[in-house]
Amino acid sequence: MANKSKPKSNRRNKKLRFRKLLAGLSGIALLFLASYLYYLNYLINLRFDGDTWAIPSRVYARSLELYPGLRLSADSLQYELGLSTYYRVNSSPESGQYRIFNSAIELHTEAFAFSDQIEPARRIRVKFNREQVTRIVDLATSRELDLLRLPPVVIGSYFPQNGEDRVLLSIEQIPQTLIDILLAVEDKKFFQHFGVSPKSIARAMIANFRAGKTVQGGSTLTQQLAKNLFLTPEKSILRKINEAFMALLLELRFSKGTILTAYINEVFLLQQKKVAIHGFALGSQALFRQNIEHLTTEKLALLVAMVKGPSRYNPIKHPAVAFERRNLVLRVTRDHRIISEAEYQRLIKLPLATVNRLPGINRFPGYLDLVKRQLNSSYSASELSARGLRIFTPFNPLLQRNLEQGLKSGLARFDQSDLQAAVVIADYLNGDIQALVAGKQVDFPGFNRAVLAQRPIGSLIKPLLLYSLIENGKTLATLVDDKPIRIRQSDNRIWRPQNFDRKFHGRMSLYQAFVKSYNLPFVHLGVNGGLESLAQNLKQINLLKSDLIYPSLLLGTSEMSAFEVTQMFQVIANRGYFSPLTTIRQVSDRSNRVLDRIPLDSYKLFNESSMLQVQRAMIGVGEEGTANYLAQRFGRLTLAGKTGSTDDARDSWFAGFTQRELTVVWLGKDDNSPINLTGASGALRVWADIMQNQGFKEFKLDPDDSLEWQYINRFNGGLTKRGCANSVLLPFPQHLVPDKRSRCE
Amino acid sequence: MYCYPFLNTWCPIKGRAVNRVPTCVNRPRPFLLALLIVITSCSGPKIEPERYQTASIASERSSGPVAELHRRAISAINQNSYPQAVEFLQRAIKIEPRNAFSWHYLAQTYWHSKQFGRCNEMVNRSISYSTRLDDLDRANASLLSQCRAS
Repeated sequence: MANKSKPKSNRRNKKLRFRKLLAGLSGIALLFLASYLYYLNYLINLRFDGDTWAIPSRVYARSLELYPGLRLSADSLQYELGLSTYYRVNSSPESGQYRIFNSAIELHTEAFAFSDQIEPARRIRVKFNREQVTRIVDLATSRELDLLRLPPVVIGSYFPQNGEDRVLLSIEQIPQTLIDILLAVEDKKFFQHFGVSPKSIARAMIANFRAGKTVQGGSTLTQQLAKNLFLTPEKSILRKINEAFMALLLELRFSKGTILTAYINEVFLLQQKKVAIHGFALGSQALFRQNIEHLTTEKLALLVAMVKGPSRYNPIKHPAVAFERRNLVLRVTRDHRIISEAEYQRLIKLPLATVNRLPGINRFPGYLDLVKRQLNSSYSASELSARGLRIFTPFNPLLQRNLEQGLKSGLARFDQSDLQAAVVIADYLNGDIQALVAGKQVDFPGFNRAVLAQRPIGSLIKPLLLYSLIENGKTLATLVDDKPIRIRQSDNRIWRPQNFDRKFHGRMSLYQAFVKSYNLPFVHLGVNGGLESLAQNLKQINLLKSDLIYPSLLLGTSEMSAFEVTQMFQVIANRGYFSPLTTIRQVSDRSNRVLDRIPLDSYKLFNESSMLQVQRAMIGVGEEGTANYLAQRFGRLTLAGKTGSTDDARDSWFAGFTQRELTVVWLGKDDNSPINLTGASGALRVWADIMQNQGFKEFKLDPDDSLEWQYINRFNGGLTKRGCANSVLLPFPQHLVPDKRSRCE
Repeated sequence: MYCYPFLNTWCPIKGRAVNRVPTCVNRPRPFLLALLIVITSCSGPKIEPERYQTASIASERSSGPVAELHRRAISAINQNSYPQAVEFLQRAIKIEPRNAFSWHYLAQTYWHSKQFGRCNEMVNRSISYSTRLDDLDRANASLLSQCRAS
């Protein structure tokens, strides 16, 4: 008995131990599973709490103000619309579309939230007469508008490190047709399953087994989202298990609407150089240049078609394959009765209608670089690439286009392949930087010569020096000697400055010396008091680079960038009022809250009347001085400017202004070798080519009651009359009008 | 009855001027009066700078986009929406930068928002573009003195 019962109790004990072991192991496995789920949930929290995606900050151009009388051609408006997502049609335009007929552009604008007010969507007609807007009519009310502000064009973005770009949609903004097509193709049972669909998995497994390769996927939309958001694309069992767990957790945590919206914003669609385009909204803008709410069914079908293989079904690279896939999607759409048979038959015949080439990323790299530099004091690089800031700039796409075209034709004059250029255009009345190129390859993001290349400025220093001399009691009629001079420097070396032509021209008026850009008269006057004033004036505009002041400063040996030169001439062109040059006017966050506003500033730094005399002399430079090419080229149009050249013709400068714009051009080589161009033979020609494209208004001197205008003889400085030889009309402070008369010859 | 206009007395505790209503007594009592001033001078409302009435200047008879923006700006100033007024005026200046009225209204906006340094600069710009318009010149002169005094 005892023998028999022993094995029995042993077996029972063994069973009991086995059960305990099993329970223990199950407990451990459960604990492990719970911890693992906790970890996965933690990953989901990390992504969904706060900002799910890093949103690039967008940089906007100035908003175009349309009003009757504005100088703007239909072609220019069309160019501006082309830069944004407006789409040209031939029928009556709907939101985001425009059409051209007769001499008018009919446009359906989109609403835009500016910081001061929301500009509503409108249907308008803009009528032109040659180069001018003549009427703006609101087509809904037939009322003529005095003023209309168009939404600004996005000119660039600062992308996160992963290179992802997207435009976020909320659930209300997603077109219902897109949802219908997407679910019909990717996940029919989306609203029934709990994240994973065992039936679909089984069906896919059978299909793949029969085919001997992967022909069908069983993943739900939620699983795809989990994979895209948290996992790598590797094909392994572990990844599949993770994907399933995460899909379950996502379904437990979030509503179907949230998951669907996340999917639509996350899905990868296109690679555009280094930038990955995610989400249907941005995909629509890149491929069709249209906002997603304006896409027709066949275009939505194409976007959905691309989900399966963004590279394989890329409609630009593989249009035939994409066309076939789109029509397959349309067929599924018809099978699900989203569209009718007749509509299906019509839609499958339509072309893909995508752009031929994806638009360039950040087409204005020089300008965007300067924006980033100016933002860097307030915003870190990570903030710029993730917070989705809206940065409003005064960038003028039309001026930039003219600048780029003018620079191209200007540089073509010189047969120098390694000749480089930098150009800055500013509105000198308010300090707005409106256009900029950082090198001759205008769309190449590299060394920003306009901001970083520090080069001697040569005679560009003379207008400020002339101002300093006028403030010290000189006038434009003051007689000066163009004769040799020797200056002993602090290191005991002798400096013998020379004129550019290495000749001496004798006695003449200060005006004559200025327009001809003779060096020696300015050195003579400079060493007798002008140098200190010049240094002081440079300091006032933060352009005095060193506390050690050398006499050679009088001839522009101090180095500046084109940007700094623009700041110096901004004050001169604006009659002594300093407005800090800026590329930023406002920064808002994603919800349109203003974070920073850069107001229009204007400080009176210099005497207006003295600066007006400098401006008059600068007009003379263009009429009869070193830049008289302007008179040949533009006839009687008044322009003010100054040429600048440096030793051995290494740098060629020209700074000039019209009624509104100040443009500074620099030409040179990166290795600082001679270019054999002076300011007049190099930069001036490029400047003129840029201006020719622009259609500018001539410069006019402001009236000034404190000045008296008199004809003087440019050589002996005496009063003379109009029509006499060498006479020139110049302004003088009333107490400094020359009293000596000159004989009229 | 003797009335003492206790206007704009200085409160040493609050470190600012306060606005007092006139106080009347039956006969002059200097000590009582002094006591009254001390007790009551810290309880009045803070004196705001004299409100500068913003209205279109008569000589501005322009029409078109700039005049439209001026109208919107003046309306915004009168509703104390100064940032909005600044936006309107900056838009006007970008369209027509040498318009003396735009600079004047911008100066007014800065005066209202107590940015007196900016107010000063903007009046100077308005003066530099003003071409013998008596009422604008008078308004600029008055505003300039107020900006400087503040």
